[in-house]
Amino acid sequence: MSGSVTAFFEATVRTATPLLFAGLGETLAEQAGVINVGLEGIVIAGAFGAVAGAAVGGVAFGFLVAAAGGAAMAAVFAVFAAILRSDQIIAGTAVTLLGLGVTGTLYRWEFGPSGAALTIPTMHAMPLPLLDNIPVLGPALFGQPPVAYAAYLLVPALWWWTYRTYGGLALRAVGENPEAARVAGIPVRRVQFAAIMAGGVLGGVSGGTLVLAQVGTFAEGMSAGRGFIAIAIVALGRWNPAGAAAAAVIFGAASALQFLFQAMGWHAPYQLFLAFPYVLTLAALAFAGSARQGGAPAALGRARID
Amino acid sequence: MRVSALLHITLCLSLSACGQLQDTHRGRSASDRAAASGHEGFKVALLTPGPISDQAWNAAAYRGLLRIRDSLGAQISNVETKTPAEFDENFRQYGAQGYNLVIANGFEYQDAVQRVAPDYPQTMYLTTSGDRTGQNWAGIDFRFEEGAYLAGVIAASVSKNGVIGTIGGTELPPVKRGFAGFAAGAHSVNPRIRVLSSYVGNWDDASAAKEQALAQITQGADVIFQNADAAGLGVFQAAKDSKGVWVIGSNSDQNGVAPAVTLASVVIDLPHALFMIGQQVRDGRFTPAVITLGAEQQVVRLVINPALGPEIPRPARAAIDSIHALQMAGKFVVPVDTAMNAAASAPATGHGSSSSGRSRGLRD
Repeated sequence: MSGSVTAFFEATVRTATPLLFAGLGETLAEQAGVINVGLEGIVIAGAFGAVAGAAVGGVAFGFLVAAAGGAAMAAVFAVFAAILRSDQIIAGTAVTLLGLGVTGTLYRWEFGPSGAALTIPTMHAMPLPLLDNIPVLGPALFGQPPVAYAAYLLVPALWWWTYRTYGGLALRAVGENPEAARVAGIPVRRVQFAAIMAGGVLGGVSGGTLVLAQVGTFAEGMSAGRGFIAIAIVALGRWNPAGAAAAAVIFGAASALQFLFQAMGWHAPYQLFLAFPYVLTLAALAFAGSARQGGAPAALGRARID
Repeated sequence: MRVSALLHITLCLSLSACGQLQDTHRGRSASDRAAASGHEGFKVALLTPGPISDQAWNAAAYRGLLRIRDSLGAQISNVETKTPAEFDENFRQYGAQGYNLVIANGFEYQDAVQRVAPDYPQTMYLTTSGDRTGQNWAGIDFRFEEGAYLAGVIAASVSKNGVIGTIGGTELPPVKRGFAGFAAGAHSVNPRIRVLSSYVGNWDDASAAKEQALAQITQGADVIFQNADAAGLGVFQAAKDSKGVWVIGSNSDQNGVAPAVTLASVVIDLPHALFMIGQQVRDGRFTPAVITLGAEQQVVRLVINPALGPEIPRPARAAIDSIHALQMAGKFVVPVDTAMNAAASAPATGHGSSSSGRSRGLRD
């Protein structure tokens, strides 16, 4: 039984890690007033970059190319959203479609119709001494591949940067009131562009995690909606890095529970189990919304700056 | 204005990149093709519910399409549909363009075929894993459960823990029937064996499929039969990452995907089946029907991974050989229970609405 409990926590952390990277990146963009629904395309671009990079230069290079792939997709979005001030939802939708299509085409071009199989090197777990001896939670939290530890560290680092530095203040000012920010001498477009690009890098790492720390290969469409879930996580986390982390863990736990319930052979339609994480996220979103109104940057999604 | 024009270009680019009508005869000109083929203008299209790089169900169908091109000189076209809404649209496109044969790779296409086919009487529509037929539309009903039964015999013979598992994409009737055949085969060896069952909910989330497999492994499963297409790659990876866990593959010969952990694959010779039907359609000899293909027609079979043959106990191999011989002679009926068969023949609705919107189909 304790084996199942530990397995549940392990699955929670594994499922939450890529969502956390993508969610933190989206938090940055949304704090700058930009909602990037192209995140799904960014995550899949990161996944493809990871396979292409790791096939040539190993795991570390794979993560580098994953980040670059995510950034490249984000750059397309940033040009429309931050420079040309297009409708963010339309531009983001285009980027998602572009990412899903382009990666499939490039994948077949580079690896042929039979794909990369399971030949991609993966990042092995690196248990942290002592910490992974903590009963039950230890192996789950501290028996992970290094990329998970990077995600843990990123949460407080981003929180500190956002709320305790001038740069973070400028970012949030742009998202709350871009006109006032501009009057205060903050280069609004440049800040938004940078925030979108940072989000792209983290979204790319999210896709890289799927490939290099989990699956060991690429499958067309393997992002499977994680970009959209990450956008929900940002709202659930009230546009705050720590909140996003909590939301990612909630979703990860719900998914892990779903895996476990199915494997334990409970006699219920499997669609109920599959729906569970989404139902829980909706419920949490409804609750979080009623508990404290507001939280969204005031200028979120606004294309026009007067 | 300028902005919206740019946006439109990006949208168009991305939509076309999404794969409408990819890979049409690789750049050969129309006259070349006509010259190369004895049958000028024989045109065949394939719709797949997932990527042809899945090394499984859709890869096999794509090989069949290439064989039709190479051996029958057909002009071919292939499109991956992402959502059920695209089914009808693509069927109509191909019908309007005068395609002779449109192959829809999976059970989930059957309702759309039934709707569209009457409007294009010159085109033959074929659903793999279909179980209905009409004037100009037909279905191939693969007896996947015959191979799956043998896989179950192997799984139960190899399992040390007395727990084995199945992982599918979505619960399409043909998939479910295959798993029922697998369970029946396993129970024939060990009536008390536990057979776990999980579904990923789509056919491409390899990470979630890996988690499903790890969850089953935690419950003690040491042989997992996967039928999840591209997502199934995650099941192989889970076995690679665990100790003493074997996988059995589906639809294509997947023994090479992870040779160290893959005991066997239940193979549907889809290329052969599609080629045979393509030939009949080209020659005008094809009569629409529900075509049942299984071990007897040498279309469904179990392929054991030669490298892992010694892992399979001798009596199990003997049992497989004798059951297979009976199947080839048409004298072995897989005892998939009657309730399951009733479910399998009902026109299931709502599948295909997996989270990614692309269900797949079939196999079996």
